[in-house]
Amino acid sequence: MAKLCLYFQLHQPYRLRPFSVFELNRGLDYFALGSEQHDDNAAIFRKVAQKSYLPMLSLLLELVTIHPSFCFALSCSGVFLEQARAYQPEVIGLIQRLVDTDQVEILAESYYHSLASLYSPAEFAEQVKLHTALVEELFHFTPTVFRNTELIYANFIAEQVEQLGFAGMLTEAVDRYLGGRPRTQVFRSYTGKPLPLLLKHAQLSDDVAFRFSNKNWEEHPLTSEKYVHWLNNYYPEEYINLFMDFETFGEHQWEDTGIFEFFRHFVGRALHFDHHFVTPASVLEPLANHPKTLDSLPVYDVPDPISWADIDRDLTAWRGNSLQHDALRLVYSIEADVIKSGDRELLRDWRRVQTSDHFYYMCVKWSADGDVHKYFSPYDSPFEAYNRFSAVMVDLQDRVRLGKSK
Amino acid sequence: MRDTQHRVFMVGWEYPPHNSGGLGVACEGLTQALAEANTQIFFTLPYRFPATVSHMQLIACQNPEEIEAVLRGSGPPLLSYSPGLSPSLNFATKDSLELATLPQSEIEQRVNYYADQVLQVGSQLRRKYDLIHAHDWMAFPAAMKLQEKVKKPFIAHVHSTEMDRIPSGHGSHYIAHTEYLGMQRAERVIAVSNFTKRILVSKYNIDPNKIDVVHNGVTPASRLSDEHLQFATERPMIVFMGRLTAQKGAEYFLQLAKAVIDRIPEALFVVAGHGDQYHSLLFQSAYQQLSASVLFTGFMRDHQREALLSRADVFVMPSLSEPFGLVALEAAQRQTPVIVSNNSGVKELLHHALKADFWDVGKMAGYIQDLIQNQDFRQQIVAGQNEDLKQATWDNAAGNVSKIYTKLLEKK
Repeated sequence: MAKLCLYFQLHQPYRLRPFSVFELNRGLDYFALGSEQHDDNAAIFRKVAQKSYLPMLSLLLELVTIHPSFCFALSCSGVFLEQARAYQPEVIGLIQRLVDTDQVEILAESYYHSLASLYSPAEFAEQVKLHTALVEELFHFTPTVFRNTELIYANFIAEQVEQLGFAGMLTEAVDRYLGGRPRTQVFRSYTGKPLPLLLKHAQLSDDVAFRFSNKNWEEHPLTSEKYVHWLNNYYPEEYINLFMDFETFGEHQWEDTGIFEFFRHFVGRALHFDHHFVTPASVLEPLANHPKTLDSLPVYDVPDPISWADIDRDLTAWRGNSLQHDALRLVYSIEADVIKSGDRELLRDWRRVQTSDHFYYMCVKWSADGDVHKYFSPYDSPFEAYNRFSAVMVDLQDRVRLGKSK
Repeated sequence: MRDTQHRVFMVGWEYPPHNSGGLGVACEGLTQALAEANTQIFFTLPYRFPATVSHMQLIACQNPEEIEAVLRGSGPPLLSYSPGLSPSLNFATKDSLELATLPQSEIEQRVNYYADQVLQVGSQLRRKYDLIHAHDWMAFPAAMKLQEKVKKPFIAHVHSTEMDRIPSGHGSHYIAHTEYLGMQRAERVIAVSNFTKRILVSKYNIDPNKIDVVHNGVTPASRLSDEHLQFATERPMIVFMGRLTAQKGAEYFLQLAKAVIDRIPEALFVVAGHGDQYHSLLFQSAYQQLSASVLFTGFMRDHQREALLSRADVFVMPSLSEPFGLVALEAAQRQTPVIVSNNSGVKELLHHALKADFWDVGKMAGYIQDLIQNQDFRQQIVAGQNEDLKQATWDNAAGNVSKIYTKLLEKK
């Protein structure tokens, strides 16, 4: 009998088209993957929608209808929502219906799924604002809890998020900062004015997200009986925070692995064993409004940024080598000029290249992490990703420079 | 046109489109011009040639299935047809550069096998030629065997040496020794430049009187239409083109980029090519914060290659050791001013191109700045290069080779 807090991440980047010196200064669309006639970004989105977004959203809708006490949270990047609107509008419709049940919460994040929180507080704040505006427009819902790109978190990020007025944040539970304390309690940030925090239960989340269909895993096959049995070991006041990619259902784990059936039975069975589903806002908002209780929470002090990625749960997936460092330096080195230009297309393109995926593709870690990266990358190699990105940055720089001289 | 026709048995290794370096291109240019000048040529290759050529008789001296079996030991004869056992090594199309990266025992096996095949063909055809002309070390063992058997004069043509390819001096002993033996046994040695001749004399101890220098030529270039050159129009572009190996000096090109963008921040450096330094160069470039100043194109197809050479505002060849350097002529042909390494053969033809030591980044950076900012200077260099190009023809090269043939046959 524990409290189960589920959150699923919906995100798709605008991947870059092949771009090299031969494409420079020709006014091409950087994000028409494949060609402008046949944009693979659209094709990829529709494929994932068929395999995952549409069936899983439909299943979730069915489950909230059957079980009035079942609730969960979704976080949708702005670039995801844009592409959904353009390529598969039913996805928006289904999310709308889920939100309308009042059993589904939408989380705040940066519109471009960017790393701006690490580089530019002003740009970060702007992207968060843009995202909230889009969520309000589409779903008539105002997010109150924040989750950063890839659950990236540090004290200085919590500071920024607190100043933006959010009631709390989600992030990863990293052992080197937990110091042996259970991850199933609510923590508070180590900031001037604290924010309440929910920390991901990596093991139980990844049992579903990564290991579900792994035949070499000793627990394979994972049944809802077994899974709920594990949950039964927790006390009623504990929060089990199951955070994962939405694409876990149908895309990372294909339909034939039984993932949908697993989830359907899991919800019924968890309720049967008296577990309570909660949403982040329902837990964190009351705390945020109660300074005394908030101050009594254990402190989660994270001086160096963490994330939910790879074995080390750090930032090396996005900035672990000089290719990534220099690419990121370039992006934020033109910030002031791009903003000043007042050129809306330039601003939009500059923000789209901030999406964290572009830097993830340049990762060259060769361990098991590399396999995951390879799975998620549309390019042949991290070097190809870097070459494309660099050429796009040259083109963006030229637009900035030529715009100024006009 | 001479009245007496030369009849030559040439031993090659690669031929366009199967080539990665300049060797195949040089063989094509030279044989075409020789054939025009009434030379009858047999030309052997270690693989089956997919297309037909009309100016000479090509002979495929290796049967891929057969060599597979030879190298595998005595396997069942149809093994190579079994699904799932597709040959991991593509014997048929190893060019000279790929070949040199193989383990020594395999290099020897391949070269010796080729020599046996050439010997067989060459012996059968012995009444139909008067001379053996072999291109670079891969062909020398074959030529030596044939020379011994048919007792005809052998010319060793040196397009590059192991000392050029591995500038550290720690190259393959086997390859260097094969080069040495070939040149010792040959009646005459042709070097593609005085630069190479000096290496043959100083590093291989070859008698300078035995060596003739014949510079390569360049085939006239077709002009690209302007629409193909409408890219990267907003930046001055400096191009490097070549394999990314220590020999070609791409590392100095990165240093050069760093030096030039201090003065011309929008200058764009393009590195075209692939090689074992590729990854290390990418990291170096990013580490020096050059990601938006140096772009890597990787491997390029013919059309893109031409477009880049034409579009370039400056072409730089900072090779540590370049026996000839055909690509510098190709850039010059496209009205692109050229900066070549002092350690190159092509500078002996391109008198008007700018020259610098490969390590002299300051000097090269100054040249680039002048070429980009001073149109008169630029025009003057291009005009001079055009003058130089008049001499850089395959007809000239073939004329010189014919003279060597004639002299050699007269001696007998």
